[in-house]
Formats: sequence, structure tokens, C-alpha cells
Amino acid sequence: MDFLLENIITGLSIGSILLLIALGLAIIYGTMGVINMAHGEFVMLGAYATWAMNAFLGVGFLASLIVVFLGVACLGYLVERGVIRFLYRRPLDTILATWGVGVMLQQIVRLIAGGELRYVEMPPALSGTVSVLGITVSGYRVFVFLFVLALFAATWYLMYRTAFGTKLRAVVQNREIASCFGINSSRIYSLTFAYGAGLAGLAGALVAPLKSVSPEMGTTYVVDAFFVVVLGGVQSIFGTVASAFVLGEATGMLAFLWNDTIAKALVLLGIMILIRFRPQGLFTSKARR
Amino acid sequence: MFEIFRNMTASRRQTLVQVLTYMLFCAAILIFPLFLDNDFLLNRYARYLVLGMVTMALSLSWGYAGILNLGQALSFGLGSYAMAMALKLRTVPVHTGAGGLPDFMVWNNVEKLPWFWEPFYSLGLAILAGIFVPVILAVVLGWFMFRGRITGVFVAIITLANLVVVNLLIIDQQRFTGGFNGITDLAQLEFFGFEFDAYSKSTYYLVAISLSLCLFGALALTKSKAGLILQAIRDHEERVRFFGYDVAVYQIMAMSVSAAIAGIAGMLYTVVMEFASPTFLSVPLSLSIVVWCAVGGRQSLLGATIGAIVVAGMQGALSESEAFLDTWMLIMGAIFVLVVLFLPNGLAGLIDMLARKAFGRGRHRKSDGPASDIIPTETAKSP
Repeated sequence: MDFLLENIITGLSIGSILLLIALGLAIIYGTMGVINMAHGEFVMLGAYATWAMNAFLGVGFLASLIVVFLGVACLGYLVERGVIRFLYRRPLDTILATWGVGVMLQQIVRLIAGGELRYVEMPPALSGTVSVLGITVSGYRVFVFLFVLALFAATWYLMYRTAFGTKLRAVVQNREIASCFGINSSRIYSLTFAYGAGLAGLAGALVAPLKSVSPEMGTTYVVDAFFVVVLGGVQSIFGTVASAFVLGEATGMLAFLWNDTIAKALVLLGIMILIRFRPQGLFTSKARR
Repeated sequence: MFEIFRNMTASRRQTLVQVLTYMLFCAAILIFPLFLDNDFLLNRYARYLVLGMVTMALSLSWGYAGILNLGQALSFGLGSYAMAMALKLRTVPVHTGAGGLPDFMVWNNVEKLPWFWEPFYSLGLAILAGIFVPVILAVVLGWFMFRGRITGVFVAIITLANLVVVNLLIIDQQRFTGGFNGITDLAQLEFFGFEFDAYSKSTYYLVAISLSLCLFGALALTKSKAGLILQAIRDHEERVRFFGYDVAVYQIMAMSVSAAIAGIAGMLYTVVMEFASPTFLSVPLSLSIVVWCAVGGRQSLLGATIGAIVVAGMQGALSESEAFLDTWMLIMGAIFVLVVLFLPNGLAGLIDMLARKAFGRGRHRKSDGPASDIIPTETAKSP
């Protein structure tokens, strides 16, 4: 029974990181239909910002989270204003343009910080282990799990309980009519994109102590995160949560049965089949638009 | 001569201009070695031509049929592995074990040549495999997607996922595929008594002639009735379906022709590079192909080809120095964003526009212009 529980916890940990990265992407893709290939680079920037603040300014890990969120969100705002807002009528081209933005961000970081791997230290308070139902788990992973749940709750609150969220949902349902009611839809889009980018930056900051930080780190994340979003279904942040944990558990279990590579290949095959039969996503009952 | 030209209908005249341009390009790449007596550079240009060929294949499915295949490198890589397997079996055994087993299999303790390697003793079968394995995969995948009326973004995601799966499997099955290292130390390609040394004019000509043939083949396809239906599907899939055409069949056709050309390009790539590696079917290469295609002009076969040659060529020229390459990638990203924003039809679209301005209105009717100009809202709402 123990190994089963252990696997479930590994899966939850993989799932929480997936969700962390996918949440920002889900908001951007779900509300604006923009496929943000630069999302991985936002994650990477978040990780680098954490590293830089740690190494040069001596800012503590938790304090740097706020700065990272605001900084990457500002950058996201600029990207939306400068590039993406011209492409709302050509959704497929957003893949290309944001990919170009991603390449630029990667190169800028490589030119400034160098191409070598960087390491971020875990905050000492979280580096211990805790016991969950008799299984020892790294304290930091528990922290990430709880943090992601809190972020999700905050996002849900923002989307469904605030004036901003109401306006956002109105714009998503019908941009023209929302504009007729005096909602500044382009401002809503910019802020939403900024929020999604900020979440990506946070994800990078949180992932940094677990993995090494490099200019290319974002590329792998964006593909995985994208599958989570598509599987969860557009416009459903609950779907994103469910699919992140389903994918996390599936990857964990299959990796336990065979090996990591086969697990990943099987999960991708599963995703292909699911998209074919349910392009609207696993967890949405009706697709609007 | 000019009388005939004036009496033609606009679309015929446009076709004539197009054919002449294509012939000019093919002539240029064919006489190019006469002015260059440097085998090292010829090898490099042959490489760019191959990349142009695979990009042209993407333009056929993306620009003409609206299928954004993010897994274009899959067909390319499979073609390249087919050729590498055949050439590997022709090497003079140096490290090999019993029965001329490839060296990496010996290192991985494989005792017997696996069954799927057997047909590659024959070069003819290998070439067939290099074309038809990608085609069969494309047909299966196309049938799987288009029968379910999957469109737009979802096509991109499924093809991307498919590419990643095959790439992972090839790296994982190191015993049979050489894993990360790929298949290296190959023999030289030889048929009909010709030897194709990678650093020689013969290989360059092989590449240039294949590219010319494929270019004209693809051009003929786009001018045929099937080609017109493909463009109609790209512009408005539902409407074509209401006319009673089987949309899926045409889409599968476009994808498999594109896969065949990419497979041929992949085989040539192995001949030029003298090895096959999993990077030939990696996600970065696949995305680069899309970028080249977009920069050159997705709705122009020749534009896409030239886009790949120019962009990959500049990248290659600057890659000698690390600092240059980094700055170049930065500039490349910026150019790419600008092209997507302001030139949705790439460099070919720009030239088209300039030509129309120079020759006045009405002479060149734009028959394969962007659909988005005519019905912007339809394409935006389709996902």
C-alpha cells in the first residue's frame, strides 16, 4: 500500500508544478484564444529574476516572489501592447509571433546572464522533510502544493467574485457587446495577459530551487503546460486543475511501471487521442463561441 | 511574343510569370557550381537547399491547405533515418560483430540485426521506405484527425505531440536507433555507378535537381483542380463541404504529398550531412521550418524555399562566432515578429505587392492571395 501512496504523492507533486505553469497559460488561452509560446520564457525569466535577486541583492526567496510577479506581469503587459493585440483576428499567427518573442527573451537572457546553468537555493525554513500519512515528503514540495492551491483560489476569486472578473467574462462571451456596455475591452485583455504572465513568472520562481535554471528551461515547460490546458478544456480553470493532476498522476504511475521516456510518450499518445475525440477538453460540458 | 502575352487572360498570364520565375530559380541553383569551386561551401549550400525543400513541403500543406503541421520534421527525420540505415549497412565493417552488425548495436550487446533493419540492405527498398513510411504515417494521422473534423490549433497540437512521441521513442530505443548519437560513420551513397561524396559537385547536383523536380511537381499540384479545392478548403472549409467534396480526403492528400517531399529531403539531408540524428526530428527544427516558411511566404512554394535558404544561410554564416550567433538569434526573433505582424505573406507577399505597384493595377490578379483579406472574421471565429 505504501508504494501506491508514495506514487500518488509523487503524482500530486508533478501535477502541482504542471498546474502552476499551466494556470497562467490557461487564463491567456482560455480568455483570449492566444497561444502564448513565450509562456515558457516568462517562466524562465521568473527563475532568473529569483536567481539574480538571490545572488546579487541578497533578497530572500519569499520576498522575491512579489517582485518577480510584478516584474514579469509588466513585461507581459508590454508584450500584449506591442505585439499580441494586433493579432486577435489571426489566432494561429499568435503561435508564430509569441514564438519570436520567446526567442528574443531567451537570447537576451543568454547575452546578459550567460548560457551556463544556475542554481537557486531553497529557503532554509522549507528545506526539511515532513511526514504525510507516514510517507516522508520534501517540505518544499508540500509548500509548492499549498502555494499552488492558494494561487488557484486567488485566481478563481479574481475571475468570479470581482468586478474585473465579471468584465473579463463579459468580454470573453462577446467582445462587441461588452464594449457597447462601456467595458474597455482592450484594457481588460492587456491586464489579463499581464496577470497570466505574472503567474508564469511566479511558476519560474517556485520551480527554480527544484531544477537548474538555464535559458532553454522554458521550452520543455510550455509544451507540457499547453497539453494540460488543452486537455482541461478552454475557459474552465477547474478543468485545468483536474487535468494537471490527472496528467501528473498518469506520468507518475506510468514512469513507475516502465520508465520516464515511455511514460511521457504514452501520456502524449493519450492526449492526442483525447483531443481527437474531445477537442473541447475533457472537463467542459459545453463549448461556447 | 508580346501580342500573345497581352491576349492571355489575367490568371494565365500570372501562371506564366510564375512558371518563368520558378524556372529562373532552378536555373540559378543549377548553374551555381560553375562559379564556385569550393567543395566545402558547395556542401553547405546543398544543405540549405535541402532545408528549402522541406520548407517548401510545409508551404504546400500550410499555405495551400491550411494545415499547420508543427510535426513537419517528423517526415524529414524518418526519411533521413531510412537513408542512414541503408548507408550504415553498406559500411565496411570495422568495429562490427557477426554479420556486419552496425557498431552501435555491438556496443549495446545486440546479437542479431533486428527485423526492421533487414530491408535496408537494398538501397531501392530504403528509398521507398524513406518516402512511404512518412506518407503512411501522414495518411494514418490525417485520417485520424480530419475524419474527426479537427481543425486549426488542434491540428497543430496533435502533430506536435506526434513528433515528440516518435522523437522520444527513437532516443529511448538506443539499441536499435543509436539513441542520442543517431547513426554516424556512414558509407557513401552510390547508384547507377555514380558516387555521391558529400563534399562534391555530384551531391550538390543531386540535391538541386531533386529540389527543382519537387518544386515543379508541387507547383503543378497547386494549379490542378485538387490544388484549387485545397485552397478553397483553406479559405472556407464548411463551404467546400457543402458543395459535396470530401474535405478530409483532400486534406489527407495534401499532408501525404507534403510528407513525401519532406521524406525525400530527409534522405538527401543524410547524404549531405553524412549522419542522421534525433535532432533531425526535434521540436526546435520543426518550429524553425515553420519560421522559415512564414518568413519566406507561406502561400508561395518558391517563397518558402528561398526563405529557408536565406534564413538558414545567414544563421550558418554567422554561427562561426558564438557572440554573433547570439545577437543574430535576437535579431532573427525581432524580424520574425515583425514579419508576422506586418507581412502575413512573408517576403513573397512583399515582392508580390511591389510588383503589382510597379506594373500598375490589374495586370496581376492575385488569385492565391490571403483569405484573411476577404473574410477576416470567419477565420478568427473558426476555433
